[in-house]
This record gives sequence, structure tokens and C-alpha cells, in this order.
Amino acid sequence: MAAARSAGRARDIRLAYLLLAPTLLLFGVVIAYPVGWEVWTSLTDLSPLKDGSAEFVGLSNYRRLLVDAEFWRATLVTVVYAVVTSAGKLALGLGFALLLARPFRGRALVFLAIFLPWAYPAGVSVIGWYWTLNPPTITAYAPFMGHLKFYVDSALGGGAWAFTSVMLFNVWRGSSFIAVLLLAGINSIPPELFECALLESKSPWRRFRLVTVPLLKPFLALGVFLSITSAFADLSNVWMLTAGRIVFPLVGTHAYWLAVKVGQYGPASALALTMGPFLLVVLLVLFRLFDRAERSAA
Amino acid sequence: MAQVMMKDLNKKYDEVHAVKDVNLHIRDKEFVVLVGPSGCGKSTTLRMVAGLEEITGGEITIGDRIVNDLPPKDRDIAMVFQNYALYPHMTVYDNMAFGLKMRKFPKPEIAKRVQEAAEILGIQELLKRKPRQLSGGQRQRVAVGRAIVRHPQVFLFDEPLSNLDAKLRVQMRVELKRLHDRLETTAIYVTHDQVEAMTLGDRVVVMKDGWIQQVGEPLELYSKPANRFVAGFIGSPAMNFMEVAVAEANGALWLDTTGLRVKVPAPLAGRLGAYKGQRITLGIRPEDLHMATSNDPADYSFDAIVEVVEPLGSEILLDVKVGQSVIVARVDPTVRAKLNDKLRLALHPERVRIFDNKTELAI
Amino acid sequence: MVIERRWKKWVFFYIPLTVFVVGTLFPFYWMTVTAIRPDAELYRSWRAVNNAPFWTLHPTFEHFRDLLAKTTFPRWLLNTFYIAVASTAISLLCGLLAGYALARLRFPMAGALGTSIFVTYLVPPTLLFIPLADIIRDFQLGNTPWALILTYPTFLIPFCTWLLMGYFKTIPKELEECARIDGATRVGAMTRIIFPIAVPGILSAGIFAFTLSWNEFIYALIFLSSPERKTVPVGVVSELIRGDIYFWGQLMAGALLGSIPVALVYSFFVEYYVTGLTGSVKG
Repeated sequence: MAAARSAGRARDIRLAYLLLAPTLLLFGVVIAYPVGWEVWTSLTDLSPLKDGSAEFVGLSNYRRLLVDAEFWRATLVTVVYAVVTSAGKLALGLGFALLLARPFRGRALVFLAIFLPWAYPAGVSVIGWYWTLNPPTITAYAPFMGHLKFYVDSALGGGAWAFTSVMLFNVWRGSSFIAVLLLAGINSIPPELFECALLESKSPWRRFRLVTVPLLKPFLALGVFLSITSAFADLSNVWMLTAGRIVFPLVGTHAYWLAVKVGQYGPASALALTMGPFLLVVLLVLFRLFDRAERSAA
Repeated sequence: MAQVMMKDLNKKYDEVHAVKDVNLHIRDKEFVVLVGPSGCGKSTTLRMVAGLEEITGGEITIGDRIVNDLPPKDRDIAMVFQNYALYPHMTVYDNMAFGLKMRKFPKPEIAKRVQEAAEILGIQELLKRKPRQLSGGQRQRVAVGRAIVRHPQVFLFDEPLSNLDAKLRVQMRVELKRLHDRLETTAIYVTHDQVEAMTLGDRVVVMKDGWIQQVGEPLELYSKPANRFVAGFIGSPAMNFMEVAVAEANGALWLDTTGLRVKVPAPLAGRLGAYKGQRITLGIRPEDLHMATSNDPADYSFDAIVEVVEPLGSEILLDVKVGQSVIVARVDPTVRAKLNDKLRLALHPERVRIFDNKTELAI
Repeated sequence: MVIERRWKKWVFFYIPLTVFVVGTLFPFYWMTVTAIRPDAELYRSWRAVNNAPFWTLHPTFEHFRDLLAKTTFPRWLLNTFYIAVASTAISLLCGLLAGYALARLRFPMAGALGTSIFVTYLVPPTLLFIPLADIIRDFQLGNTPWALILTYPTFLIPFCTWLLMGYFKTIPKELEECARIDGATRVGAMTRIIFPIAVPGILSAGIFAFTLSWNEFIYALIFLSSPERKTVPVGVVSELIRGDIYFWGQLMAGALLGSIPVALVYSFFVEYYVTGLTGSVKG
């Protein structure tokens, strides 16, 4: 039965589009057009260094990427970066959240202290880290840091110390956010569930694994998702911490380097666009997890 | 001052046909209760009257206006929700005044009406509080108060008492009934509790799977259920059902099953003629059973073995085994029965109900 | 028994907590010490006599003085504040309306539109600045705050929308239905009932958006060129690092001063922030 759309329903639909209009309008200008530009550019040999109009080159930019060792290296480094930092953030964040789950004297203060790295402008705290880890040679503790840098670099190759410091910074800042997110999650779980678990099992580890983790799953999934996307998009932190001398390129920094320093807009756009599908897959997997957690909770 | 008419009302969601061909005429000032198990379509019907659900097919008339395309605010109705739906950021006074403010009533008139409603419901001293500072019963009163200040044409109640504890529920039930007698406004009330339905409704509408099963006054539903579902749904403890065969012997019809053989009472015999040799369902209410005495004719009595004894004070409920089936009998508190006792029970022949096995309709 | 308990509490609670908190806060401590250390002490050898690597013997405010006198730091603060407030306001407004529509209204393409708003979060921002620079030039917004106020919402709106949508879903539908029966239109019910109840969620999204725009670096670096128009993160970094020369003391002073507004916002609204987050994820 194809019922005629009633007046009330028509009103709702009009209202919905009206409410979405500002967002869609703004996105049309500042998202749709740039993304469209990027897609188009990835199919051309556009470059600010080249005279004349850009030529359409089809998928050759993408084909070149597939055989480009630098691309695969950047992808590998990015995956390592995303996995290691996400694991670190989750472990530390979960630790913080569990420590703060029960009230104790001064909890509010500790909470604020833990929250500070996230709330602090990354653009400047990253300078603080740079200063701490790469002091100018005449500084008081420079020899100590110099030795550390020497050992790390000689063990893992040049630039390893800089890359390690990027990861340290990322974990330091990100675990702060994950902690707050998970703490919010723990607080939203009815305490009866934990009390019930206390009666069911004596082992704290089992309780943690069988009760806390499943209940926190949606929060964990969100945390991992945000962590991975930020790792892929990371540009400024890496740039700052390595003072622009990037030895271990991420997909994001490599694309930036290709576009801005080398002037190859086409390949750079193709590279940047390859991230999209990958992140989409990550998103879908995480939401599947999220969904299952929801359903089993219901 | 309004009647409510539903004509061929239908509601379909993507895959579920929630309300099917509902036709109902609710008269002015009438209190009608929609009752049924969850998922029977009663709430959906109410929400279509309110304008909160789209009508897939059919027509609803309030007063003399067809309201299908009117937004809720223009239907001149008020609704009380199961979770009370009090606005948490407003005081009790503002909650009650909200509807009048939206309709641009002058301030003194609003104050007068809120005071009046607060007096009726005994919540004058709560007016300055926020909803979270109130108990469940108080919230319930505020929700009702918010509905009555508006003097709407129709009150809609969606399981308003379900979130209250048992004692409070009984108390509020009485108050609602008194309130309706006083305000004389048409009311549609949805509940899954058949006791609420029976005590409150001028008429009761029993629904199941989206269909109306029966419409009638409470006692009519009780004594003349149209089908097996209504018979089992109305009344507590529920009616006993037993599958029996219709047999002819000695020039009379008999209902026959293991452990039970009763003569078909005269008024029923005519209607049962066509079922000779077939199986039907026999329905007996627990209160229509009693301990057999020498006065009871042997044709209407049978043996039973006691399985559970539930003394309630004013009466005793006996779960007894008759042949293969277990039925409940409601007997006098003076009866002394123990587990595994063998009793002889008798039934009221004229109160027995019989149902077609296939259609489940009353015969 | 009791002794064992106490021992356990130290091992599993106090010690890890202390380690975590010290690790978290050390960079801030180090920044503070650097900011108040005189230059002479800052650039001195490890083996110098009377050395105090982890604190300073002669605290000074000279770096703060220099920062305020020799750079346009107060202007940067003002610029950042203006840009952050404006872009947060725009994003919140868009997020409120879009989040409500997605949470409460049924309309064709609802799923597709919701997903596409969310997926914009995945669009790699790395190269968007090249075409964005085009647009900004076309509208003649280059080197004005509007260049940032209009581009920041690209990463703020998805998050605001998503967070508020989740929060709206935790508000019982009946409140709104009741308001509509009481005489409000959809829009009336939304502005008079739903938005006031959603204040924790709105604040939470607002804080988030404010922080993100206060901290943003790349767009601000690219779209603003004159020193007096810069934002704090970019200004501090670009004006106090000249080539390879880092003005460490002033850098740290600027880093400390420049984050005070954000720290204040968080410490006042942290409760709302947490409840807002909870609501959105549960929904």
C-alpha cells in the first residue's frame, strides 16, 4: 500500500533539510570543492612549477604510487606509527581511567593533571617536548640527551630518535584524551554490574576481562578510531618535532612534502586520497565491533 | 465536548503491520480503555490520535474535524505519558503552565488555572520544585495536572500508572476515575493491565496483533467474551481452558475428556449440534468452580487432585489436576484442602464458555 | 592481612598513580622552569659549578617581559580568542541543527547525509589547504581571521554534530512529544525543551571545538601571513624560532601564557565535558 505522504510527514522532511542546510552549504564550499579539486588533480600532472595548463593523465599517478618504494615505506611507517601509538595510548589511558575510577582524596586534581596534555595547545606543547628531547648543545643536560639520541639512532638508523620522540609525544598527548573518554565510559556503567561481577568471580583480572572490557567496548572503539585517524592525518606534530627534517615519512607528511617542496600536486593528491578508503575500512570494522557490543548488551 | 472516531485505521511500519482496520467510535465524555499484551497496537493507535505517528490508512475524527493532517498542537488534546515526560529544566509551575503559555493565554488566567489544577490534585506546595525533587507519585500528579490545566477536548493516557508501585497504582487509579467523573472530558486510556482496564473504563477495547478483538462494557467482556483470547485475557486468575470432545449419549450431548465428563447445559446444546463428534475448547472461570455438595447433580461434577494450595485470606486458589490438565479453582476460605487430596468439584453449567478450536470464537 | 592490603594498595595504586602523574606533568614543569630560567643559566655547560639542572637558582620574568614587549603576543591572544569563539559558535549552531535533524527526524537520505557529514572527518586535511587557499583568494579572505573562521568548521562540525546527535538520543522522545501536544511546533519543542536540556552536551561540544580551534596549527600557518594577525601557536613558533635560532625562554613563556584560556575553560567545565561525552557515546 503506497500511502500518500501526509502533511505532517512533508513538514518534517522540509524541516530536516532546513536544519541541515547551513552545514551542507558550508561543506559544499569548504569540503566538497576541495575534495573534488583533489580528485581531479590526482588525475592530472598539475604542478605550480610547470607552465601551461594541467594535462589529464588518467590513473598514472596512482600507478606510479604502487611501484614507488617511498610510498610503501611511508605506508609502513604510518601503520607502525598508528598501531604503536594507539596501543600505547589505550594502555596508558585505560590505566589512568581504572586508577581514577574510584573516589579518593584529590581525585579532581589528579583528573585535571591528567587532562592537561590534551587540553594544552599541541602546537606549543610540542615545542616543549622538542626542547626537552633535543636541547641545544650548550644546555645543561644536553650531553645526556645527546648520548640517548646517539644510541637510539645507531641502533635503529638515522632519524630514529626523532621518530621515537614523535611517538612519545603522541602517546603522551593522546593517552590523556583516552583516559578521559574511558573514565566517562566507566562512570556511565551502572555500578550494580561491577558489584554483581564481584560476587561472580574472585580474580580481578577475570573481572576486568569479562566485565569491564566488554562494557567499555564502544568507548574503546571510538578511542581507537580517533587515534588512528589522527595518526594518519598527523603533519604538524611531526614537522615540529623533527624540525622539518623528516627521515621517517608518514603518508600525511610525505604528501605534504611532495606537494609543497617538490611541487607535484598530482601524485601528492593521489597519495592523500589513498588514505580515505583505508580509514573507511578501519571505521567499518570498529563500528561492527561497536554494534556487536551494543547488541550483546541489549 | 468531543467524540473521537476512527475509521478503517491502519498503521504499517516497514515490515510490521501494527494496527489493522481499527473502527471505533468513542462518544463524548466517555472513558475508553485500550488494553492488550505488548505489541498489540494499542499505543500506536493512541499515538495516531495524538498525531505523533503518521496514519498509514484510514481516518481519525476529533469533534467534527478530520485530524489526519493536523499537527499535534492543533488537535486540542492532552496526553499523560508512562515516564511522565516532565520537562526537567522547568519548575512544576512552569511545567503545568507550558501548554497555556504556548497558546498565549494571559498571565492571570494561567496562574488561576494552574492553582485550580494544583488544588484538585493536592500539589500546591510543590509548584516551585523541579521534577527531580519529586517522588514517583508526585511526578504522576504533575503530569496529570499539566494535562488538565489545558481543558482539552480529549485526554490521552499512555500507561500512566505503570511506573508506580502497586499500592500507589491502586490509589491513583481511584483518583483518576474520580477526576474523570468531575471533569467529564472524553478520555482514551492505554494499559496492559486488565484490572486497570476493567475498573476505569466505561468501555474497554481489547486488542491483539493489531486487531480489535472485542469492544464492550467491562462486565460484558467478562461474562460474554467474544473469543478465547478475550476470555483468557480478562479476569484474574485467568479462565481455565480444556480441550474436550462433543459426544452424544442417552439423548443428550456430553463434553468429554480424560477425567471429566459433563453434560452440555440446555441453552448451549442447540448451538453445539453442528459440533457433534468434533473437539472444542471448554472455558471455565476459577470462580465458577466450587466444592461439590450433595445438591450438585452428578452430571456437572468431577474428581480432581490438589497440586498447589494458595490461601489468599478471602479465598483459596487450588491448582488441581483433572485427567491430564491442571486447572485453577477459586474456593471458599473455609475449605480445608491439602496437597494430593482428592476432591470433587462442581461447575456452574450456565456460566461455562465454549470456543471453536479453529476460529477460537465463542460458540 | 591488613599489612598485606596496605602493601597491595601501594603497589597497585599509589606508585603507578604517582609515576603516571609525574610523567604527565613533567613536560609542563620543564617548560615552566625554562620560562623562568635566566639565559645565562639556560645555556650553560653540564659540568659547570653550582649547577641545578632541574630547577633554577635565579628565577626571572625577563622572558615574559620580552615576550610582551618585543612581540605582538597580546594581539595573538586576541586573534586566537576571536577566531576560536567565532568558529566554535558557527560549528555549534550547525552541529545543533544538523544533530537534531539526524537524531529526531525521519527523512529520505537521512542515513546517507549523516554518514557523509561524519565521513568528512576522514577527509585527509593534509592537502585540502591547496584548493582552500584558492577559495580564500577568490573570496579575498587571505590574511583575515575569516579565512580560519570559515575553514575550522570543516573539522569541528562533524565532531559537534556527532556528539550532539548522541546526546539528543539520550533525551526521552516523550518530552518533545508532550511539548508538541502542549502546543509547540517541532521547532518550538526543539528550542524550548530539547536545547535547554542538552546544555551539558552543548557545552561539551563547545569546549571541544574551542580547544581544537585554539590549538589548530597548519591552516593558521598557511592562511595568515602578517605577524600581527597570527594566532598564538603559530605566532609563538614562527616569530620566536628564527631559522635555527630558538628563543627558548620566550618560547616557553609564550607557550605557558597562551594556553591559560584553554586551561581555564577546561577547569570550569570539566564536569559538563565528561557528562556530555558519556551521553553522546551511550546514545
